[in-house]
Amino acid sequence: MIFKIEDVTVYFPYDNIYPEQYEYMVELKRTLDAKGHCLLEMPTGTGKTIALLSLITSYRLSRPDSPIKLVYCTRTVHEMEKTLAELKVLHDYQVLHLGTQAKILAIGLSSRKNLCVNTKVLAAENRDSVDAACRKRTASWVRALSTENPNIELCDYFENYEKAAENALLPPGVYTLEDLRAFGKNRGWCPYFLARHMVQFANVIVYSYQYLLDPKVAGIISKELQKESVVVFDEAHNIDNVCIEALSVSVRRVTLEGANRNLNKIREEIDRSKATDAGRLRAEYNRLVEGLALRGDLSGGDQWLANPALPHDILKEAVPGNIRRAEHFVHVLRRLLQYLGVRLDTENVEKESPVSFVSSLNSQAGIEQKTLKFCYDRLQSLMLTLEITDTDEFLPIQTVCDFATLVGTYARGFSIIIEPYDERMPHIPDPILQLSCHDASLAIKPVFDRFQSVVITSGTLSPIDLYPRLLSFTPVVSRSFKMSMTRDCICPMVLTRGSDQLPVSTKFDMRSDPGVVRNYGKLLVEMVSIVPDGVVCFFVSYSYMDGIIATWNETGILKEIMQQKLVFIETQDVVETTLALDNYRRACDCGRGAVFFSVARGKVAEGIDFDRHYGRLVVMYGVPFQYTLSKILLARLEYLRDTFQIKEGDFLTFDALRQAAQCVGRVIRSKADYGMMIFADKRYSRHDKRSKLPGWILSHLRDAHLNLSTDMAIHIAREFLRKMAQPYDKTGTMGRKTLLTQEDLEKMAETGVQDMAY
Amino acid sequence: MSNQRKRLTGEREDEDDEDAEGIGEWERAYVDDRSWEELQEDESGLLRPIDNSAIYHAQYRRRLRMLSAAAAGTRIQKGLIRYLYIVIDFSRAAAEMDFRPSRIAVMAKHVEAFIREFFDQNPLSQIGLVSIKNGVAHTLTDLGGSPETHIKALMGKLEALGDSSLQNALELVNEHLSQVPSYGHREVLILYSALCTCDPGDIMETIQKCKKSKLRCSVIGLSAEMFICKHLCQETGGLYSVAVDEVHLKDLLLEHAPPPPAIAEFAIANLIKMGFPQRAAEGSMAICSCHKEVKIGAGYMCPRCKARVCDLPTECTICGLTLVSSPHLARSYHHLFPIAPFDEVPAFSSLNDSRRTLGKSCFGCQQSLIGTGNKPGPCVTCRKCKHYFCLDCDIYIHESLHNCPGCESIHRPKSVSLMEE
Repeated sequence: MIFKIEDVTVYFPYDNIYPEQYEYMVELKRTLDAKGHCLLEMPTGTGKTIALLSLITSYRLSRPDSPIKLVYCTRTVHEMEKTLAELKVLHDYQVLHLGTQAKILAIGLSSRKNLCVNTKVLAAENRDSVDAACRKRTASWVRALSTENPNIELCDYFENYEKAAENALLPPGVYTLEDLRAFGKNRGWCPYFLARHMVQFANVIVYSYQYLLDPKVAGIISKELQKESVVVFDEAHNIDNVCIEALSVSVRRVTLEGANRNLNKIREEIDRSKATDAGRLRAEYNRLVEGLALRGDLSGGDQWLANPALPHDILKEAVPGNIRRAEHFVHVLRRLLQYLGVRLDTENVEKESPVSFVSSLNSQAGIEQKTLKFCYDRLQSLMLTLEITDTDEFLPIQTVCDFATLVGTYARGFSIIIEPYDERMPHIPDPILQLSCHDASLAIKPVFDRFQSVVITSGTLSPIDLYPRLLSFTPVVSRSFKMSMTRDCICPMVLTRGSDQLPVSTKFDMRSDPGVVRNYGKLLVEMVSIVPDGVVCFFVSYSYMDGIIATWNETGILKEIMQQKLVFIETQDVVETTLALDNYRRACDCGRGAVFFSVARGKVAEGIDFDRHYGRLVVMYGVPFQYTLSKILLARLEYLRDTFQIKEGDFLTFDALRQAAQCVGRVIRSKADYGMMIFADKRYSRHDKRSKLPGWILSHLRDAHLNLSTDMAIHIAREFLRKMAQPYDKTGTMGRKTLLTQEDLEKMAETGVQDMAY
Repeated sequence: MSNQRKRLTGEREDEDDEDAEGIGEWERAYVDDRSWEELQEDESGLLRPIDNSAIYHAQYRRRLRMLSAAAAGTRIQKGLIRYLYIVIDFSRAAAEMDFRPSRIAVMAKHVEAFIREFFDQNPLSQIGLVSIKNGVAHTLTDLGGSPETHIKALMGKLEALGDSSLQNALELVNEHLSQVPSYGHREVLILYSALCTCDPGDIMETIQKCKKSKLRCSVIGLSAEMFICKHLCQETGGLYSVAVDEVHLKDLLLEHAPPPPAIAEFAIANLIKMGFPQRAAEGSMAICSCHKEVKIGAGYMCPRCKARVCDLPTECTICGLTLVSSPHLARSYHHLFPIAPFDEVPAFSSLNDSRRTLGKSCFGCQQSLIGTGNKPGPCVTCRKCKHYFCLDCDIYIHESLHNCPGCESIHRPKSVSLMEE
């Protein structure tokens, strides 16, 4: 359908549109007009992605003089593929109605592992070794050498791509990763480098968060993006954690040992190259004297790792004298490693600010802050000079240098925590030195500053006013949309008591109480006997899940559950979990029924959907608070309180509730679907906790369902399942219209959006 | 299992038991009845009985639309000779008490009513009964045309035990039905109260097998929607529904009484041999072939072998001829020429409709169509005669009467003359 939102003609590839999609587009359009940032919360299953894509591409078409570029960030490769598939449908529709002028170039960009077509490179098992195997065949000096020595293996795809040079272009269209690989194979061009090259020409780029947020990667991939871009972060409820992780480094004993080995190797390389080609090191030295800013022209075609988190004036400065010479730099690193080793030998937990860390480093190892700042870039430069290709082996020293640079650069928003052992296992010494970032706004700030509009959207962004504070930006629009439904297809319940009326909770003093464990077990036993097909249970942590399942096993509760349904358990092993999930789905398909035990914050809770019969009920056992004794969390809480005036309790509750909402949100993925959600903890009935759930869950949480005991919940579940099993009327009756046609929209445009009833 | 459960929870369980016994007889009536569940709070906080009539009617309309949509376009063929197996799930879940007094009793009661209604509407068809118990499917009765034998066998053992297995039941029924003549329509109606199925093999294969042998599978669930049942019905072209309460269960069951549209490639016209027996003279004495008893009068004689049978329709036990009476055949007639579904009158347009202002009452029952607050209540109109009917009459006309009173009264002179003759 084609309709107008204010002055923009929107091309939407389906015949009907949900009212909330329309409103979403209106808000988005206003954001684009204002050239500002926005926060939009809309439940999953309402077609967020297509609304976004169709509005932004249509906006682009309506403003031919100032074409905007869409940068769409997803969390996983799977989501990337889904987004591109939707875009394909949309693109076909637009081309059908507008002809070739609507043609756009849209590409998905991922790591070499996902894009490479060279079978020999792909044989490597993980991402880093694929990268290294690729570099071994494509680095400029390797290729230069091969002209003399034909035995050196090169990558044909890359050679062909290089030969085509400027002509290596993708024709307009929408390319998924699969399409890119097919295109590359067909032409004999390397799809990875082609895609990277095309980033500057593409109208739509879909890639992972890291390419924008991780300063190490962002410099290579995203530096050419123009200011007139719209950046979308989809499923962005955890964006603050992603930002923090991008700037956090942890150093263990293994890292130090590895780094020492790396240094030895570098040392050897230096000696060898001195003997064979002293001029190269000399040239590097001269370059460094001139400053880092010029290095782009001198690096001989290979991409440099830049650090956009560094202030610009640093880049213009010359590298400090004491690390310009390769040998001196190695000495400095040795001293740094030694110092870190000494610090790791501590018996107590230590917490320090970067400032005091740097000053003690200066007094004890004689390394200045300025020197530290340049470590990362200096190492990169040295590795290029020494022509080291197997970069995956040099990860430990890179980690250490990364650490040094961050410590040297930021005085605020970080802290250094040294723990001699894991809190949970005090008898095993496992010293760890962590540089943890507390300020999510540091990593995302360049993105906000650089691009015209940044859209942060997800199914769960509640409470929506907290995100701007965490990320320190001012959104022009921040709104939470409800889901319009023809029937009440979700049934959230808060269960506070067991059938014996004793309260249930995973509060620390109650969680191991046998009464609570038994009541939780009873709840599941009763539920599996009345809920068909799939049931998913989320626990607060792996250790709690292990404990409770062991108790259930001893008391025979597990056996009772198994009479009704098969039981599958998520483990920390990815392969095992995948297998369990696969079998879980099979059991649901064939009617045997199954229960899946999983952990909030785990892999399953974040990325796996339990839609339709794969999840008719999800039970959230307890409130998934973070491990509050963790030093890092405490440091972050303190920082948040001091800097952003966010109370500790508020942040913890917010974080726990968004995890809980994320878990239960797995169960419903479209409007035709239905599912029940049980929050099994007495703390959910308290208003301060409950009110932080997203609006679309709250609007279905009736007052009568707030303080239930097991038997009442059973009764409600029975009624609900019966009601939902009745035939489903898609369009909805007059009062609750949930599918709008083109005429409806035209009518609405006349009367104004505000009058719309839902 | 129950022993173990007792041991687990220890004394608490025992206390509960005592409590349960402690309640008085007067209390128990309320506990069993659960009359409070039929109340609902409205916007102003008043308690009102739940008004389900609108929902029922909406469901009925949908059904009707679905049937007529299937019939639209092509002339629909209906299988009047049906071979139907009723599978009743007597697994553990059937002992649940959410239907009063228990699912098993409610199922038995309504299946009995259904069997009678079925033979009333499909005099030429046969039924067999299968039960699932302890994960195994048992044949209760083989295919036959006598309602009494089925009902007796059904009522014989009413107990619920063990797991349920959909696959076993389907395999058994499929085996039985593979022997019926090609003109018969094979159907199975499953009343499923369990929420899982413990199968010995791959049920997907069995479903494909059923599909291949043109077995139409319908399922009525008693508790919630199950994916596998839905899949089964979709694959084999049957209906899947879940009963909300006892009344709904009855409706859903009776929905299966009229013959379903025949599967196109399967419906080949065929001639079938049938006997129309004469009623034996009053006072004549004979030994009936069905009960092996001496009976005076009240029986029929097979036109081929002259054996005496008690009831029609049936199959002659001696020569195997299908015995029917002509009213039986005539009763099947309306399935082939159903009256078209009535159109719903939209609430807002009826205000300025001149016809509406004239006749504000239902043409069928003459009751006022004005609802509460002087607003027009929901009503429907016949496409042919344009008369208005209330929802109850709508259902009555389509389900039982099979004649539109409005259309019939247009041809009054003709029908009067017929009556006079």
